[in-house]
Amino acid sequence: MSTIPGVVAINTFREAVRDRVLYNLIFFALMMIGASILVGEISIGISRLVIINLGLSAISIFGLVMAIFIGVGLVHKEIEKRTLYTLLSKPVKRWEFLVGKFGGLLLTLTVNTALMTIGLGAALYYVSRSFLRTDASILVAVYFILLELGLVTALALFFSCFSSPMLSTLFTLGLYVAGIFSTDIRDIGMLTRSPATQAAARAIYYLLPNFHNFNAITAAAHGESIPVSLIWQNTAYAASYVVLVLAAASAVFSGRDLK
Amino acid sequence: MTGRSHSRSLRFALVAIPLFLAIVLLQTRIDAETRTIAQQKEELLLRSGPLLKKLSLGYDSLLADIYWTRAVQYYGSRVGNVGEKFELLWPLLDVTTSLDPKLMVAYRFGAIFLSEPAPMGADRADLAVELVKRGVSANPDDWRLESDLGFLYYWHLKKYPEAAAAYLEASKKKDGPVLMKMMAAEVAAKGNSFSASRAIWTEIFQTAQDPSTKKNALQHLQSLQAQQDLLALDKYSEDYRKRTGRYPTTAREIYESGVLSGIPVDPAGIPYIFGPDGKAQLDPKSSVVLDKPSNGPPR
Repeated sequence: MSTIPGVVAINTFREAVRDRVLYNLIFFALMMIGASILVGEISIGISRLVIINLGLSAISIFGLVMAIFIGVGLVHKEIEKRTLYTLLSKPVKRWEFLVGKFGGLLLTLTVNTALMTIGLGAALYYVSRSFLRTDASILVAVYFILLELGLVTALALFFSCFSSPMLSTLFTLGLYVAGIFSTDIRDIGMLTRSPATQAAARAIYYLLPNFHNFNAITAAAHGESIPVSLIWQNTAYAASYVVLVLAAASAVFSGRDLK
Repeated sequence: MTGRSHSRSLRFALVAIPLFLAIVLLQTRIDAETRTIAQQKEELLLRSGPLLKKLSLGYDSLLADIYWTRAVQYYGSRVGNVGEKFELLWPLLDVTTSLDPKLMVAYRFGAIFLSEPAPMGADRADLAVELVKRGVSANPDDWRLESDLGFLYYWHLKKYPEAAAAYLEASKKKDGPVLMKMMAAEVAAKGNSFSASRAIWTEIFQTAQDPSTKKNALQHLQSLQAQQDLLALDKYSEDYRKRTGRYPTTAREIYESGVLSGIPVDPAGIPYIFGPDGKAQLDPKSSVVLDKPSNGPPR
Protein backbone atom coordinates (compact mmCIF):
# COMPACT_ATOMS: atom_id res chain seq x y z
CA MET A 1 0.00 0.00 0.00
CA SER A 2 1.27 3.44 -0.94
CA THR A 3 2.56 5.63 1.87
CA ILE A 4 2.41 8.78 -0.27
CA PRO A 5 -1.04 9.94 0.87
CA GLY A 6 0.18 9.67 4.47
CA VAL A 7 3.26 11.76 3.73
CA VAL A 8 1.18 14.41 1.94
CA ALA A 9 -1.32 14.39 4.82
CA ILE A 10 1.37 14.96 7.46
CA ASN A 11 2.83 17.82 5.44
CA THR A 12 -0.60 19.36 4.94
CA PHE A 13 -1.16 19.19 8.69
CA ARG A 14 2.25 20.78 9.39
CA GLU A 15 1.50 23.52 6.91
CA ALA A 16 -1.84 24.26 8.59
CA VAL A 17 -0.11 24.48 11.98
CA ARG A 18 2.55 26.76 10.47
CA ASP A 19 -0.25 28.94 9.06
CA ARG A 20 -1.50 29.42 12.64
CA VAL A 21 -4.82 27.80 11.83
CA LEU A 22 -5.12 26.51 15.38
CA TYR A 23 -5.21 30.07 16.69
CA ASN A 24 -9.02 29.83 16.45
CA LEU A 25 -8.75 27.80 19.65
CA ILE A 26 -7.98 30.99 21.55
CA PHE A 27 -11.29 32.50 20.41
CA PHE A 28 -13.06 29.31 21.33
CA ALA A 29 -11.50 29.28 24.80
CA LEU A 30 -12.39 32.92 25.41
CA MET A 31 -15.95 32.34 24.25
CA MET A 32 -16.43 29.33 26.52
CA ILE A 33 -14.97 31.15 29.51
CA GLY A 34 -17.21 34.15 28.83
CA ALA A 35 -20.30 31.98 28.43
CA SER A 36 -19.52 30.00 31.60
CA ILE A 37 -19.35 33.17 33.66
CA LEU A 38 -22.10 35.19 31.97
CA VAL A 39 -24.89 32.76 31.29
CA GLY A 40 -25.82 32.21 34.93
CA GLU A 41 -26.18 35.98 35.32
CA ILE A 42 -28.48 36.63 32.39
CA SER A 43 -30.67 33.56 32.11
CA ILE A 44 -32.50 30.96 34.20
CA GLY A 45 -31.88 27.24 34.37
CA ILE A 46 -29.89 26.76 31.17
CA SER A 47 -26.25 27.04 32.28
CA ARG A 48 -25.40 23.49 31.26
CA LEU A 49 -27.53 23.66 28.14
CA VAL A 50 -25.87 26.84 26.94
CA ILE A 51 -22.39 25.47 27.50
CA ILE A 52 -23.20 22.31 25.55
CA ASN A 53 -25.16 24.08 22.79
CA LEU A 54 -22.64 26.88 22.44
CA GLY A 55 -19.64 24.56 22.63
CA LEU A 56 -20.94 22.08 20.06
CA SER A 57 -22.22 24.83 17.75
CA ALA A 58 -18.84 26.58 17.94
CA ILE A 59 -16.99 23.33 17.23
CA SER A 60 -19.22 22.84 14.22
CA ILE A 61 -19.03 26.44 12.91
CA PHE A 62 -15.27 26.84 13.46
CA GLY A 63 -14.72 23.46 11.84
CA LEU A 64 -16.93 24.31 8.86
CA VAL A 65 -15.16 27.61 8.29
CA MET A 66 -11.80 25.83 8.38
CA ALA A 67 -12.96 22.95 6.20
CA ILE A 68 -14.37 25.24 3.53
CA PHE A 69 -11.79 28.02 3.48
CA ILE A 70 -8.74 25.79 3.78
CA GLY A 71 -10.27 23.00 1.70
CA VAL A 72 -10.91 25.20 -1.34
CA GLY A 73 -7.30 26.40 -1.32
CA LEU A 74 -5.63 23.03 -0.95
CA VAL A 75 -5.11 22.36 -4.66
CA HIS A 76 -5.18 25.96 -5.86
CA LYS A 77 -2.38 26.98 -3.51
CA GLU A 78 -0.14 24.19 -4.75
CA ILE A 79 -0.76 25.19 -8.37
CA GLU A 80 -0.22 28.89 -7.65
CA LYS A 81 3.04 28.25 -5.80
CA ARG A 82 4.01 25.76 -8.52
CA THR A 83 4.90 23.18 -5.85
CA LEU A 84 2.39 20.81 -7.40
CA TYR A 85 4.53 20.44 -10.54
CA THR A 86 7.56 19.44 -8.48
CA LEU A 87 5.46 16.98 -6.58
CA LEU A 88 3.81 15.44 -9.62
CA SER A 89 7.17 15.08 -11.39
CA LYS A 90 7.94 12.49 -8.72
CA PRO A 91 6.23 9.09 -8.68
CA VAL A 92 3.11 10.54 -7.03
CA LYS A 93 -0.26 9.84 -8.56
CA ARG A 94 -2.77 12.63 -8.64
CA TRP A 95 -5.34 10.71 -6.61
CA GLU A 96 -2.68 10.03 -3.96
CA PHE A 97 -2.02 13.74 -3.75
CA LEU A 98 -5.74 14.47 -3.32
CA VAL A 99 -6.27 11.76 -0.73
CA GLY A 100 -3.23 13.04 1.15
CA LYS A 101 -4.52 16.61 1.09
CA PHE A 102 -7.91 15.42 2.31
CA GLY A 103 -6.30 13.35 5.09
CA GLY A 104 -4.10 16.26 6.15
CA LEU A 105 -6.97 18.69 6.49
CA LEU A 106 -9.10 16.07 8.24
CA LEU A 107 -6.23 15.50 10.69
CA THR A 108 -6.03 19.25 11.32
CA LEU A 109 -9.77 19.38 11.89
CA THR A 110 -9.65 16.36 14.19
CA VAL A 111 -6.90 17.87 16.35
CA ASN A 112 -8.74 21.19 16.42
CA THR A 113 -12.03 19.50 17.33
CA ALA A 114 -10.38 17.35 20.00
CA LEU A 115 -8.84 20.41 21.67
CA MET A 116 -12.13 22.29 21.53
CA THR A 117 -13.92 19.27 23.04
CA ILE A 118 -11.48 19.35 25.96
CA GLY A 119 -12.29 23.06 26.35
CA LEU A 120 -16.01 22.28 26.26
CA GLY A 121 -15.54 19.59 28.91
CA ALA A 122 -13.62 22.00 31.15
CA ALA A 123 -16.32 24.68 30.82
CA LEU A 124 -19.03 22.12 31.53
CA TYR A 125 -17.19 20.94 34.63
CA TYR A 126 -16.76 24.56 35.78
CA VAL A 127 -20.49 25.20 35.45
CA SER A 128 -21.87 21.99 36.95
CA ARG A 129 -18.93 20.71 39.04
CA SER A 130 -19.55 17.20 37.77
CA PHE A 131 -20.12 15.12 34.67
CA LEU A 132 -23.26 13.11 34.08
CA ARG A 133 -23.45 9.69 32.51
CA THR A 134 -25.61 11.22 29.77
CA ASP A 135 -22.76 13.58 28.83
CA ALA A 136 -21.41 10.71 26.71
CA SER A 137 -23.89 11.92 24.07
CA ILE A 138 -21.72 15.03 23.71
CA LEU A 139 -18.85 12.89 22.45
CA VAL A 140 -21.18 11.26 19.93
CA ALA A 141 -22.34 14.71 18.80
CA VAL A 142 -18.68 15.75 18.37
CA TYR A 143 -18.04 12.60 16.35
CA PHE A 144 -21.00 13.44 14.11
CA ILE A 145 -19.60 16.95 13.63
CA LEU A 146 -16.30 15.39 12.55
CA LEU A 147 -18.13 13.21 10.03
CA GLU A 148 -19.85 16.33 8.73
CA LEU A 149 -16.53 18.16 8.49
CA GLY A 150 -15.02 15.23 6.58
CA LEU A 151 -17.82 15.42 4.05
CA VAL A 152 -17.51 19.21 3.69
CA THR A 153 -13.73 18.89 3.26
CA ALA A 154 -14.21 16.35 0.48
CA LEU A 155 -16.70 18.63 -1.28
CA ALA A 156 -14.42 21.66 -0.96
CA LEU A 157 -11.52 19.62 -2.33
CA PHE A 158 -13.69 18.39 -5.22
CA PHE A 159 -14.67 21.91 -6.26
CA SER A 160 -11.12 23.17 -5.84
CA CYS A 161 -10.00 20.64 -8.48
CA PHE A 162 -11.66 22.57 -11.29
CA SER A 163 -12.65 25.97 -9.93
CA SER A 164 -11.23 29.09 -8.33
CA PRO A 165 -11.19 29.35 -4.51
CA MET A 166 -13.93 31.98 -4.57
CA LEU A 167 -16.29 29.87 -6.67
CA SER A 168 -15.38 26.72 -4.80
CA THR A 169 -16.32 28.44 -1.53
CA LEU A 170 -19.69 29.44 -2.97
CA PHE A 171 -20.34 25.96 -4.38
CA THR A 172 -19.40 24.23 -1.15
CA LEU A 173 -21.43 26.62 1.01
CA GLY A 174 -24.38 26.30 -1.37
CA LEU A 175 -24.22 22.54 -1.28
CA TYR A 176 -23.92 22.58 2.50
CA VAL A 177 -27.04 24.73 2.88
CA ALA A 178 -28.90 22.66 0.27
CA GLY A 179 -27.84 19.53 2.16
CA ILE A 180 -29.39 20.88 5.34
CA PHE A 181 -32.67 21.52 3.51
CA SER A 182 -32.64 18.25 1.54
CA THR A 183 -35.48 16.80 3.63
CA ASP A 184 -37.58 19.87 2.84
CA ILE A 185 -36.88 19.49 -0.86
CA ARG A 186 -38.17 15.92 -0.73
CA ASP A 187 -41.23 16.98 1.30
CA ILE A 188 -42.06 19.82 -1.08
CA GLY A 189 -41.93 17.33 -3.95
CA MET A 190 -44.35 15.06 -2.06
CA LEU A 191 -46.81 17.95 -1.79
CA THR A 192 -47.21 18.08 -5.56
CA ARG A 193 -49.46 15.69 -7.46
CA SER A 194 -46.99 15.25 -10.27
CA PRO A 195 -45.17 11.89 -10.11
CA ALA A 196 -42.35 13.36 -12.20
CA THR A 197 -41.79 16.20 -9.71
CA GLN A 198 -41.99 13.76 -6.83
CA ALA A 199 -39.40 11.52 -8.46
CA ALA A 200 -37.15 14.49 -9.22
CA ALA A 201 -37.43 15.78 -5.64
CA ARG A 202 -36.65 12.31 -4.32
CA ALA A 203 -33.64 12.02 -6.64
CA ILE A 204 -32.32 15.39 -5.45
CA TYR A 205 -32.89 14.29 -1.86
CA TYR A 206 -30.69 11.23 -2.31
CA LEU A 207 -28.14 13.06 -4.44
CA LEU A 208 -27.52 15.90 -1.99
CA PRO A 209 -25.36 15.15 1.04
CA ASN A 210 -27.81 15.07 3.94
CA PHE A 211 -26.10 17.19 6.58
CA HIS A 212 -29.19 17.02 8.74
CA ASN A 213 -28.14 13.44 9.60
CA PHE A 214 -25.17 14.71 11.58
CA ASN A 215 -27.01 17.12 13.83
CA ALA A 216 -27.07 15.64 17.33
CA ILE A 217 -26.50 18.89 19.24
CA THR A 218 -30.01 19.12 20.68
CA ALA A 219 -30.02 15.46 21.69
CA ALA A 220 -26.63 15.86 23.40
CA ALA A 221 -27.72 19.02 25.21
CA HIS A 222 -30.75 17.22 26.64
CA GLY A 223 -28.75 14.13 27.57
CA GLU A 224 -30.66 11.88 25.20
CA SER A 225 -28.91 8.69 24.23
CA ILE A 226 -28.02 8.30 20.58
CA PRO A 227 -28.58 4.79 19.21
CA VAL A 228 -25.49 2.82 18.26
CA SER A 229 -27.21 1.90 15.00
CA LEU A 230 -27.39 5.59 14.07
CA ILE A 231 -23.68 6.00 14.84
CA TRP A 232 -22.59 3.28 12.44
CA GLN A 233 -25.17 4.26 9.82
CA ASN A 234 -23.93 7.86 9.85
CA THR A 235 -20.32 6.65 9.75
CA ALA A 236 -21.04 4.42 6.76
CA TYR A 237 -23.03 7.20 5.04
CA ALA A 238 -20.24 9.76 5.50
CA ALA A 239 -17.53 7.28 4.46
CA SER A 240 -19.45 6.26 1.34
CA TYR A 241 -20.12 9.83 0.35
CA VAL A 242 -16.52 10.92 0.99
CA VAL A 243 -15.15 8.06 -1.12
CA LEU A 244 -17.61 8.95 -3.89
CA VAL A 245 -16.67 12.64 -3.86
CA LEU A 246 -12.93 11.92 -3.67
CA ALA A 247 -13.26 9.48 -6.58
CA ALA A 248 -15.03 12.18 -8.57
CA ALA A 249 -12.36 14.70 -7.54
CA SER A 250 -9.59 12.31 -8.63
CA ALA A 251 -11.32 11.75 -11.96
CA VAL A 252 -11.62 15.49 -12.57
CA PHE A 253 -8.12 16.27 -11.33
CA SER A 254 -6.51 13.44 -13.31
CA GLY A 255 -8.07 14.75 -16.51
CA ARG A 256 -7.09 18.33 -15.84
CA ASP A 257 -4.42 19.89 -18.02
CA LEU A 258 -2.04 21.53 -15.57
CA LYS A 259 0.20 23.18 -18.16
CA MET B 1 12.93 48.75 20.65
CA THR B 2 14.69 51.23 18.37
CA GLY B 3 14.20 54.98 18.63
CA ARG B 4 12.41 55.08 15.28
CA SER B 5 9.85 52.40 16.14
CA HIS B 6 9.34 54.09 19.53
CA SER B 7 8.44 57.38 17.91
CA ARG B 8 6.19 55.56 15.43
CA SER B 9 4.29 53.97 18.32
CA LEU B 10 3.98 57.36 19.99
CA ARG B 11 2.59 58.94 16.84
CA PHE B 12 0.11 56.07 16.46
CA ALA B 13 -1.01 56.53 20.08
CA LEU B 14 -1.44 60.25 19.54
CA VAL B 15 -3.76 59.60 16.63
CA ALA B 16 -5.51 56.49 17.95
CA ILE B 17 -6.44 57.67 21.46
CA PRO B 18 -8.34 60.83 20.41
CA LEU B 19 -10.04 58.87 17.63
CA PHE B 20 -11.10 56.16 20.04
CA LEU B 21 -12.45 58.73 22.48
CA ALA B 22 -14.37 60.33 19.62
CA ILE B 23 -15.85 56.94 18.70
CA VAL B 24 -17.00 56.38 22.31
CA LEU B 25 -18.56 59.84 22.42
CA LEU B 26 -20.32 59.38 19.10
CA GLN B 27 -21.66 55.96 20.07
CA THR B 28 -23.04 57.36 23.32
CA ARG B 29 -24.91 60.03 21.34
CA ILE B 30 -26.18 57.51 18.80
CA ASP B 31 -27.41 55.29 21.67
CA ALA B 32 -29.28 58.22 23.21
CA GLU B 33 -30.82 59.02 19.85
CA THR B 34 -31.91 55.49 19.05
CA ARG B 35 -33.14 54.69 22.58
CA THR B 36 -36.19 56.87 22.08
CA ILE B 37 -36.86 55.21 18.73
CA ALA B 38 -36.56 51.77 20.29
CA GLN B 39 -38.94 52.72 23.08
CA GLN B 40 -41.54 53.85 20.58
CA LYS B 41 -41.88 50.48 18.99
CA GLU B 42 -41.18 47.19 20.65
CA GLU B 43 -41.08 44.51 18.05
CA LEU B 44 -40.01 40.98 17.44
CA LEU B 45 -38.92 40.75 13.83
CA LEU B 46 -39.39 37.04 13.33
CA ARG B 47 -42.28 35.45 15.19
CA SER B 48 -42.44 32.16 13.37
CA GLY B 49 -40.67 29.42 15.29
CA PRO B 50 -40.73 26.92 12.41
CA LEU B 51 -39.25 29.53 10.05
CA LEU B 52 -36.52 30.41 12.52
CA LYS B 53 -35.81 26.71 12.98
CA LYS B 54 -35.21 26.40 9.26
CA LEU B 55 -33.09 29.54 9.12
CA SER B 56 -30.97 28.39 12.05
CA LEU B 57 -29.23 25.84 9.76
CA GLY B 58 -29.21 23.19 12.45
CA TYR B 59 -28.13 25.43 15.32
CA ASP B 60 -31.71 25.61 16.57
CA SER B 61 -31.01 24.61 20.16
CA LEU B 62 -28.43 27.38 20.55
CA LEU B 63 -30.93 29.84 19.08
CA ALA B 64 -33.55 28.54 21.52
CA ASP B 65 -31.17 29.32 24.42
CA ILE B 66 -30.74 32.83 23.05
CA TYR B 67 -34.50 33.34 22.71
CA TRP B 68 -35.10 31.95 26.21
CA THR B 69 -32.52 34.39 27.58
CA ARG B 70 -34.32 37.16 25.69
CA ALA B 71 -37.63 36.07 27.26
CA VAL B 72 -36.07 36.10 30.75
CA GLN B 73 -34.54 39.52 30.15
CA TYR B 74 -37.81 40.84 28.71
CA TYR B 75 -39.80 39.59 31.69
CA GLY B 76 -37.19 40.69 34.21
CA SER B 77 -37.01 44.23 32.86
CA ARG B 78 -40.79 44.71 33.03
CA VAL B 79 -41.98 42.73 36.03
CA GLY B 80 -43.63 44.97 38.61
CA ASN B 81 -44.36 47.80 36.14
CA VAL B 82 -47.99 48.84 36.63
CA GLY B 83 -49.93 48.62 33.36
CA GLU B 84 -47.32 46.36 31.73
CA LYS B 85 -48.96 43.88 29.35
CA PHE B 86 -45.91 41.74 28.50
CA GLU B 87 -47.04 41.64 24.88
CA LEU B 88 -43.86 40.04 23.56
CA LEU B 89 -43.66 37.38 26.24
CA TRP B 90 -45.87 34.85 24.49
CA PRO B 91 -44.19 35.27 21.05
CA LEU B 92 -40.76 34.88 22.68
CA LEU B 93 -41.81 31.72 24.52
CA ASP B 94 -43.56 30.43 21.42
CA VAL B 95 -40.40 30.84 19.33
CA THR B 96 -38.20 29.40 22.10
CA THR B 97 -40.24 26.23 22.47
CA SER B 98 -40.64 25.83 18.71
CA LEU B 99 -36.87 25.98 18.33
CA ASP B 100 -36.22 23.52 21.15
CA PRO B 101 -39.33 21.58 22.18
CA LYS B 102 -37.30 19.83 24.90
CA LEU B 103 -36.36 23.03 26.74
CA MET B 104 -38.24 22.23 29.95
CA VAL B 105 -37.23 25.40 31.73
CA ALA B 106 -39.01 27.51 29.10
CA TYR B 107 -42.30 25.72 29.67
CA ARG B 108 -42.08 25.68 33.45
CA PHE B 109 -40.84 29.22 34.14
CA GLY B 110 -42.60 30.58 31.04
CA ALA B 111 -45.93 29.35 32.43
CA ILE B 112 -45.24 31.22 35.67
CA PHE B 113 -44.37 34.44 33.81
CA LEU B 114 -47.54 34.15 31.73
CA SER B 115 -49.98 33.12 34.44
CA GLU B 116 -49.07 35.44 37.30
CA PRO B 117 -51.51 38.34 37.71
CA ALA B 118 -50.32 41.80 36.66
CA PRO B 119 -47.97 43.45 37.40
CA MET B 120 -46.01 40.30 38.29
CA GLY B 121 -46.95 38.54 35.08
CA ALA B 122 -48.99 38.67 31.90
CA ASP B 123 -52.15 37.40 33.64
CA ARG B 124 -52.67 34.98 30.76
CA ALA B 125 -53.24 31.64 32.43
CA ASP B 126 -54.94 30.47 29.23
CA LEU B 127 -51.69 30.96 27.29
CA ALA B 128 -49.73 29.35 30.12
CA VAL B 129 -51.97 26.28 29.80
CA GLU B 130 -51.38 26.25 26.04
CA LEU B 131 -47.63 26.50 26.58
CA VAL B 132 -47.53 23.68 29.12
CA LYS B 133 -49.82 21.49 27.00
CA ARG B 134 -47.36 21.97 24.15
CA GLY B 135 -44.60 20.92 26.53
CA VAL B 136 -46.54 17.83 27.56
CA SER B 137 -46.99 16.76 23.97
CA ALA B 138 -43.26 17.28 23.24
CA ASN B 139 -42.13 15.62 26.49
CA PRO B 140 -44.78 13.00 27.18
CA ASP B 141 -42.71 11.16 29.79
CA ASP B 142 -42.14 14.10 32.11
CA TRP B 143 -44.50 14.26 35.10
CA ARG B 144 -43.50 17.79 36.13
CA LEU B 145 -45.29 19.45 33.22
CA GLU B 146 -48.54 17.62 34.03
CA SER B 147 -48.10 18.77 37.61
CA ASP B 148 -47.63 22.37 36.41
CA LEU B 149 -50.75 22.00 34.27
CA GLY B 150 -52.68 20.79 37.32
CA PHE B 151 -51.45 23.82 39.27
CA LEU B 152 -52.52 26.24 36.51
CA TYR B 153 -56.01 24.74 36.33
CA TYR B 154 -56.33 24.60 40.10
CA TRP B 155 -54.83 27.90 41.18
CA HIS B 156 -55.39 30.30 38.30
CA LEU B 157 -58.38 28.94 36.40
CA LYS B 158 -60.23 27.16 39.27
CA LYS B 159 -61.03 24.30 36.93
CA TYR B 160 -60.90 21.50 39.48
CA PRO B 161 -61.87 18.50 37.31
CA GLU B 162 -59.19 19.44 34.75
CA ALA B 163 -56.68 20.01 37.56
CA ALA B 164 -57.47 16.61 39.07
CA ALA B 165 -57.10 14.95 35.68
CA ALA B 166 -53.71 16.62 35.13
CA TYR B 167 -52.42 15.59 38.57
CA LEU B 168 -53.65 12.06 38.01
CA GLU B 169 -51.86 12.00 34.65
CA ALA B 170 -48.68 13.23 36.37
CA SER B 171 -48.90 10.36 38.86
CA LYS B 172 -49.03 7.84 36.00
CA LYS B 173 -45.81 9.07 34.39
CA LYS B 174 -42.44 7.48 34.98
CA ASP B 175 -41.05 8.74 38.32
CA GLY B 176 -44.35 10.54 38.99
CA PRO B 177 -44.54 10.79 42.80
CA VAL B 178 -47.51 9.37 44.71
CA LEU B 179 -48.09 12.92 45.95
CA MET B 180 -49.52 13.69 42.51
CA LYS B 181 -52.20 11.08 43.05
CA MET B 182 -52.97 12.62 46.42
CA MET B 183 -53.19 16.04 44.80
CA ALA B 184 -55.60 14.68 42.22
CA ALA B 185 -57.80 13.31 44.97
CA GLU B 186 -57.62 16.55 46.99
CA VAL B 187 -58.46 18.69 44.00
CA ALA B 188 -61.29 16.40 42.87
CA ALA B 189 -62.80 16.67 46.36
CA LYS B 190 -62.45 20.44 46.28
CA GLY B 191 -64.44 20.46 43.07
CA ASN B 192 -67.09 18.35 44.89
CA SER B 193 -66.27 15.38 42.70
CA PHE B 194 -66.54 12.91 45.57
CA SER B 195 -66.70 9.87 43.38
CA ALA B 196 -63.47 10.76 41.52
CA SER B 197 -61.73 11.67 44.76
CA ARG B 198 -62.87 8.47 46.46
CA ALA B 199 -61.76 6.33 43.52
CA ILE B 200 -58.28 7.86 43.62
CA TRP B 201 -57.90 7.62 47.41
CA THR B 202 -59.14 4.03 47.31
CA GLU B 203 -56.49 3.17 44.74
CA ILE B 204 -53.82 4.89 46.85
CA PHE B 205 -55.00 2.99 49.92
CA GLN B 206 -54.92 -0.33 48.10
CA THR B 207 -51.57 0.14 46.40
CA ALA B 208 -49.52 2.16 48.93
CA GLN B 209 -46.61 0.27 50.49
CA ASP B 210 -45.77 2.94 53.01
CA PRO B 211 -47.92 2.69 56.22
CA SER B 212 -48.15 6.46 56.67
CA THR B 213 -49.42 6.91 53.08
CA LYS B 214 -51.93 4.12 53.67
CA LYS B 215 -53.12 5.75 56.89
CA ASN B 216 -53.35 9.14 55.18
CA ALA B 217 -55.43 7.63 52.34
CA LEU B 218 -57.76 5.97 54.90
CA GLN B 219 -58.26 9.29 56.69
CA HIS B 220 -59.15 10.97 53.41
CA LEU B 221 -61.57 8.19 52.51
CA GLN B 222 -63.25 8.53 55.91
CA SER B 223 -63.39 12.29 55.49
CA LEU B 224 -64.98 11.97 52.06
CA GLN B 225 -67.57 9.53 53.38
CA ALA B 226 -68.37 11.85 56.30
CA GLN B 227 -68.68 14.88 53.99
CA GLN B 228 -71.15 13.05 51.81
CA ASP B 229 -73.11 11.86 54.86
CA LEU B 230 -73.24 15.38 56.29
CA LEU B 231 -74.61 16.79 53.04
CA ALA B 232 -77.35 14.13 52.99
CA LEU B 233 -78.15 14.64 56.70
CA ASP B 234 -78.50 18.39 56.15
CA LYS B 235 -81.36 17.64 53.76
CA TYR B 236 -82.99 15.27 56.25
CA SER B 237 -82.62 17.93 58.94
CA GLU B 238 -84.39 20.52 56.77
CA ASP B 239 -87.23 18.07 56.02
CA TYR B 240 -87.45 17.32 59.76
CA ARG B 241 -87.84 21.04 60.52
CA LYS B 242 -90.58 21.39 57.94
CA ARG B 243 -92.47 18.54 59.54
CA THR B 244 -91.91 19.33 63.27
CA GLY B 245 -91.10 23.05 63.27
CA ARG B 246 -87.62 22.55 64.79
CA TYR B 247 -84.23 21.10 63.83
CA PRO B 248 -83.12 17.72 65.18
CA THR B 249 -80.36 17.66 67.83
CA THR B 250 -79.31 14.03 67.43
CA ALA B 251 -79.20 11.49 64.62
CA ARG B 252 -81.50 9.26 66.66
CA GLU B 253 -84.34 11.80 66.27
CA ILE B 254 -84.12 11.51 62.46
CA TYR B 255 -84.03 7.74 62.70
CA GLU B 256 -87.06 7.73 64.99
CA SER B 257 -88.96 9.93 62.53
CA GLY B 258 -88.88 6.89 60.23
CA VAL B 259 -86.96 8.24 57.21
CA LEU B 260 -83.83 6.16 57.86
CA SER B 261 -83.45 2.45 58.49
CA GLY B 262 -80.78 2.97 61.17
CA ILE B 263 -79.02 5.62 63.24
CA PRO B 264 -76.59 7.36 60.88
CA VAL B 265 -72.99 6.95 62.11
CA ASP B 266 -69.72 8.31 60.80
CA PRO B 267 -66.94 6.03 59.40
CA ALA B 268 -65.57 5.68 62.97
CA GLY B 269 -68.97 4.33 64.10
CA ILE B 270 -69.95 7.42 66.15
CA PRO B 271 -73.46 8.85 65.48
CA TYR B 272 -73.61 12.27 63.86
CA ILE B 273 -74.98 15.24 65.79
CA PHE B 274 -76.73 18.45 64.73
CA GLY B 275 -75.93 22.07 65.53
CA PRO B 276 -78.50 24.70 66.53
CA ASP B 277 -78.69 25.77 62.87
CA GLY B 278 -79.71 22.24 61.90
CA LYS B 279 -76.42 21.47 60.18
CA ALA B 280 -75.11 17.92 60.67
CA GLN B 281 -71.73 17.66 62.41
CA LEU B 282 -69.24 15.07 63.56
CA ASP B 283 -69.39 14.20 67.21
CA PRO B 284 -66.34 15.73 68.96
CA LYS B 285 -65.56 12.21 70.24
CA SER B 286 -65.21 10.94 66.67
CA SER B 287 -61.74 10.11 65.35
CA VAL B 288 -62.72 11.16 61.84
CA VAL B 289 -61.03 14.37 60.69
CA LEU B 290 -62.66 16.37 57.94
CA ASP B 291 -60.33 17.72 55.23
CA LYS B 292 -59.80 21.44 55.53
CA PRO B 293 -59.68 23.60 52.43
CA SER B 294 -56.03 24.02 51.46
CA ASN B 295 -54.36 27.22 50.37
CA GLY B 296 -53.13 25.59 47.21
CA PRO B 297 -51.29 22.58 46.03
CA PRO B 298 -47.54 22.25 46.22
CA ARG B 299 -45.75 22.49 42.90
